[in-house]
Amino acid sequence: MKDTDKKANPFVVFGGALRKGVAKVKNFFRSLPARLKEKFAGAKEILTQGNGKVAASMCVMGLGQLLYRQWAKGILYLLVQIAFFAYFILKGAGDFIGFFTLGITESNAWYGIEGDNSVIMLLMGILSIIALVFYFVIYVANIKDAYRIQCAVDTMKKPESFKKELASLLGKNFHKTALALPIVGVCVFSVLPIVFMIVIAFTNYGGAVVPPALVDWVGLDNFGKILSLGQFAPTFFKIFAWNILWAVLSTFLNYFAGLGLALLLNRKCVRGKTFWRLFPILAYAVPGFITLIAFKFMFSYGGPINQMITGAGGTAVGFLDIDAKWTARLIGLAVNAWLNIPSGMLLATGILSNVNTDLYEAARVDGASPWKQFVRITLPYVLFATMPVLISQFIANFNNFGIFYFLRGGLYMDGYFLASDTDLLINWLYNMSIDNNYYSIGAAISIIIFVVTSIISLTVYVLSPSYKQEETYQ
Amino acid sequence: MKKRKIRPQKLFGVAITYLAILAVCFVFLFPILWLVLASFSKTGSIYSFRGFFPTEYSFDSFVKLFSDTEMYNYPRWFLNTLFISLMSSLFGTTLTILTAYCMSRFRFKSRKALMKTTLVLGMFPSFMTMTAVYILMTQFNLINQQWGLILIYSAGAPMGYLTQKGFFDTISVSIDEAARIDGASNFKIFVRITLPLAAPMIVYTLLSSFVWPWSDFILPKLLLKNKDLYTVAVGLMALDNTEFSRFAAGSVFIAVPIVIFYFALSKFLINGLSAGAVKQ
Amino acid sequence: MANLSLKHIYKVYPNGTKAVNDFNMEIADKEFIVFVGPSGCGKSTTLRMIAGLEEISAGELKIGDVVVNDLEPKERDIAMVFQNYALYPHMTIYDNMAFGLQMQKTPKEEIDRRVKEAAEILGITEYLKRKPKEMSGGQRQRVALGRAIVREPKVMLLDEPLSNLDAKLRTQMRSEIVKLHHRLNTTFVYVTHDQVEAMTMGTRIVVMKLGYIQQIDTPKNLYLYPANKFVAGFIGTPQMNFFDCTLKREGGKVHIDFTECDAGLDVPYDALLKVMPQYLDGQKKVCVGLRAEDVTLEPEAVANSAVTFKLKISHVEELGTETLVYGDLDLNYSGIAETGTKIVVKAAGFKDFRSGEIVEAAPNLNALHLFDAETEESILPRIPKENFLSCTVKEGKLAFGSLFVPLPPAIPCADGVAELLLPSDAITFDGEIPAKLCASEEVDGKFLLTVEAGGVKLFAVAKEAPTSQELKIGLDLKKIRIKREGQDVVSPLPEINTLDGAFVMEKVREKTAEKRKKIVRYCMEIAGVRLGSTQEINDKMFAAFSGRKVFNTQFRYEFSPYGVRIAEEGIPAKAEGVLDYGREKFLKCTVGERELYVLCDKEISGDIFLLPDPEQIGIVEKERDIRIV
Repeated sequence: MKDTDKKANPFVVFGGALRKGVAKVKNFFRSLPARLKEKFAGAKEILTQGNGKVAASMCVMGLGQLLYRQWAKGILYLLVQIAFFAYFILKGAGDFIGFFTLGITESNAWYGIEGDNSVIMLLMGILSIIALVFYFVIYVANIKDAYRIQCAVDTMKKPESFKKELASLLGKNFHKTALALPIVGVCVFSVLPIVFMIVIAFTNYGGAVVPPALVDWVGLDNFGKILSLGQFAPTFFKIFAWNILWAVLSTFLNYFAGLGLALLLNRKCVRGKTFWRLFPILAYAVPGFITLIAFKFMFSYGGPINQMITGAGGTAVGFLDIDAKWTARLIGLAVNAWLNIPSGMLLATGILSNVNTDLYEAARVDGASPWKQFVRITLPYVLFATMPVLISQFIANFNNFGIFYFLRGGLYMDGYFLASDTDLLINWLYNMSIDNNYYSIGAAISIIIFVVTSIISLTVYVLSPSYKQEETYQ
Repeated sequence: MKKRKIRPQKLFGVAITYLAILAVCFVFLFPILWLVLASFSKTGSIYSFRGFFPTEYSFDSFVKLFSDTEMYNYPRWFLNTLFISLMSSLFGTTLTILTAYCMSRFRFKSRKALMKTTLVLGMFPSFMTMTAVYILMTQFNLINQQWGLILIYSAGAPMGYLTQKGFFDTISVSIDEAARIDGASNFKIFVRITLPLAAPMIVYTLLSSFVWPWSDFILPKLLLKNKDLYTVAVGLMALDNTEFSRFAAGSVFIAVPIVIFYFALSKFLINGLSAGAVKQ
Repeated sequence: MANLSLKHIYKVYPNGTKAVNDFNMEIADKEFIVFVGPSGCGKSTTLRMIAGLEEISAGELKIGDVVVNDLEPKERDIAMVFQNYALYPHMTIYDNMAFGLQMQKTPKEEIDRRVKEAAEILGITEYLKRKPKEMSGGQRQRVALGRAIVREPKVMLLDEPLSNLDAKLRTQMRSEIVKLHHRLNTTFVYVTHDQVEAMTMGTRIVVMKLGYIQQIDTPKNLYLYPANKFVAGFIGTPQMNFFDCTLKREGGKVHIDFTECDAGLDVPYDALLKVMPQYLDGQKKVCVGLRAEDVTLEPEAVANSAVTFKLKISHVEELGTETLVYGDLDLNYSGIAETGTKIVVKAAGFKDFRSGEIVEAAPNLNALHLFDAETEESILPRIPKENFLSCTVKEGKLAFGSLFVPLPPAIPCADGVAELLLPSDAITFDGEIPAKLCASEEVDGKFLLTVEAGGVKLFAVAKEAPTSQELKIGLDLKKIRIKREGQDVVSPLPEINTLDGAFVMEKVREKTAEKRKKIVRYCMEIAGVRLGSTQEINDKMFAAFSGRKVFNTQFRYEFSPYGVRIAEEGIPAKAEGVLDYGREKFLKCTVGERELYVLCDKEISGDIFLLPDPEQIGIVEKERDIRIV
């Protein structure tokens, strides 16, 4: 009973979730001191109870270990210290300072001055900060290690030998070995570019300001430019509105069409399910860019659809013409559905095979109609199981670059700055930063996209049954 | 056997169902069929079609695809794509499986933090970082290098570890414990117990991380400027508008292996997709 | 081929829940130990701690003579059989069994020999080339056993190995495992939730509930002398019948009055001699337990029985060898819900009973079980802790029966009638009071004697069997308690003194002839005073804590009045007066707020110093209440 009441009023649900969210945030900050205290208890213990040898390790990495006669480890730490100092003195320090100045000498071909390249300095600056963080992590590990040796010695235990510690990298600490490479990879090729991009949003990099010209920090100017006046704002809001509409429409269309298709093929009366399933899988398997281009040709003036129309005596339709705003948008939706329904169907098929069939039997015995069964049993179950996927699909659709890039790429329209009326934010971003060098504005748009998508997906997630259910489990 | 009387209402329902299925299948088949037919078109231009069908059929496009390599070196592109995809698939799968295994089986301190971080990182639109990647690759001297692409594809792969983690979660922990009691280290358990058991999931991962570089267009276009290094996707996009049947032939040629893979492995596909959906 | 020793084993999870509490047990070589209890009782956790799959939060675990707390499972020389078999699905049966040996780098021929031998024993030779999924449940179970025995472990651990099998196979595998135990001559530790398995397989059984050991005993003793209501209800099928009631002693009889119905029984007091007397007042709530097999419906037996009761039959289950008769003591009850007065009776063979019939039944009075309704502890202990007597105090003398015992100066007590609680171990055999031995019974290596002195029957505990019928007994008066109107007038001397403190490390510079040396010393800091600790204490303390936590933890130090002496230096205390118990004198003193009692031989007053004996000290971690020494 309570459940239906809640369903009747979405505002109540939302209000409840909001209150819970606020309470959670409040709780987070209230418990922050206690948790920080807990976090730093270890540090406090080391600082108050560490002996001279631990202090030695604090001054020079590895020294404490050497004093405890842990030669191999001590020398290793010492080498790290030396290597880092060498790097930092020779290069890192310069890079680090460069991050803030972004270059002071402008190049001048006339006088033969080779100036600073601000962008590279920015990137190297970020790298040097990452290096600093890594050094700090190793430094802390070194102190902890020294203290661990002290603990062992103080309690008359034998400190672990270097050989044993190495062996533990395949045993107890296998995860450290296994995760090292993926983490470094993600840091360099995902985190570093993201940080770089975030940082760029606060500079004036782009337009006329590209190396060899010097780039400078400009604070929040770029965001101001996008949101307030000038050429960017109207385009931004128009595209933004369409983008939201697109993401919502396409996500729902794909999701329910995929589910519907799965249910259709799952019907008891259907024979040869595997055979029928091959058709959507075919669509899923063909690489996306091929089908997209095929569709572009298909809807072109000479394409089969127009040929058929003219064959039947009609006049050719410019489906994707510059003035074909809504037809182009609808075709985009349809093509996107064509591309994504198959994966949705496969997913739903997998999920549906796990539904407890007893539930349906019980429902039938109770006299529930097929529609009731769908609404009361199938839908809640599938929604619950696929909520995380639904959210990621929403994000993917929000950032669906391919569809309009291939169908209608490269169109610039009146009333839009470097964009067309079907472009999504991500297409605009591409046009601006990759094709037209508006890097900093592009970066700022990226951040806005991130904020919007993460807020929407978080809200949906908090409101979703998976999340609520999870809370009742806890 | 006594023939049961089927109620007309039910018969109607079955008919509707089959009609719907046929319609759906037609919708999915139609564009692909058109593309395949186009690849056998003789003239090569899209304007020489009679409605849905080409006016004349021949194998010319396929022959030209592999013989006329001066302007568009398709065989070269194909080998490039194959190399990049195979390597990325191998490295990417290794990293993904390792990550998923650790996230599923170990309870270390920063585990939750790592999981949340990957979630947040996944929310950034992936290629708004393109500029940064481009500059980074210039710094590392990896522009116009196939290894640069392989590096990016492989390094990005572990971000999608959740599907594999979901699978590892279903393998009973007591098998690991039995092996521990038998004296195997975690590494040995991973190699001798977990990996063989995860074979279907490894196949799925290999496939999905193969397909990504195989059909990706944006990254190769950004990083590969030299025509000889083009992948099929970039090459086909660079084809002239009049070469439509060649485009179709080239597309069919790279789509076929993937389609076969997918058909053969559709069971893994369904399991893999739904394993990822199960809550983290 | 090894014994196992678990001392003060705890499993505490980070959120503070204790899965296992103070688990103490010595397992001898070649024993077959069964841990049994409902789910969540900590039995599997304990087993997994022995296996090394769970970390031990506190305590000391020894296999053979080696402390294995920090050893990896593979270094412990154990083997384990899992509930779901945990066979490696991708390996053949042969490889499954050989895997452990391959990991130990055993030579190939040796592996082959051992695997074949184990397969022979278990009768799975012909399946060696198959994969696990091609085998039935029972066969998989045999493979799991085989995988364990090829390693020839010191201890075999089995975690509910039969619970995935059907009933028939389970019985068969049960006897096979017992035979295997005889054949291998190894220590077995077996976890199950099934009491039938426990009773049929174990040489000793550990009954657990909510992380606490309820009772450790042989199957026979568990059945005959359950320590509490939980054990009584857990062991035996059908479950023991329980009824809430009160007991009232009326002369030579005890009236059992059922709380939830009108019925009642009059039982001769002789059958309930061991019942703690304070329960015989007709007030205290008691739970009486009666096994289905300890009630008879045979007309002859009923006719001969002095005590009978009536029950109304609700239904009957005929099982062939026996008939289970379900009924209710409430003769007016006709509903179908469970009541507090329902009863199950086991009758031999087929019996012709009808529903609704009212029949007469006779209980076996020697098989009555009685429990405190609140604590659920047995009030019919095998060794009664206390004798409960009424007494009079007059002019410094304690009188009960026809005995007069002079009270020492330490026990001041006003004259009058009172109740005396005389612990059974307070009766010594070196006194002056003549007594007659009535009965002697061996319980757990000790002897429970019933002696009669001054017309009163008393329970006493002796370490050795008595040699003659005539005894001279004495009373250890420091253990007695005298009550008047429910209030303690005389309390026994506390047996344990407690003081708070810490454990510290100190560095001492020591000058020897050649050079100055720094020496590290570990001390117990009790009430602010440092006392050198012993090697044994150090070992236990360091084993119980990781890192330097041992130096940052609060402890409670415990020592008996005998484990401490008055010395020139030590813990400063204030003497408050001497308690003279005649033979012994104890000094009452205070350290801060705490009261302590110390053995002494003369009057002492003023400020003194106490020096506990490190050999006899007990140490408990305060925060989690975990005993370490």
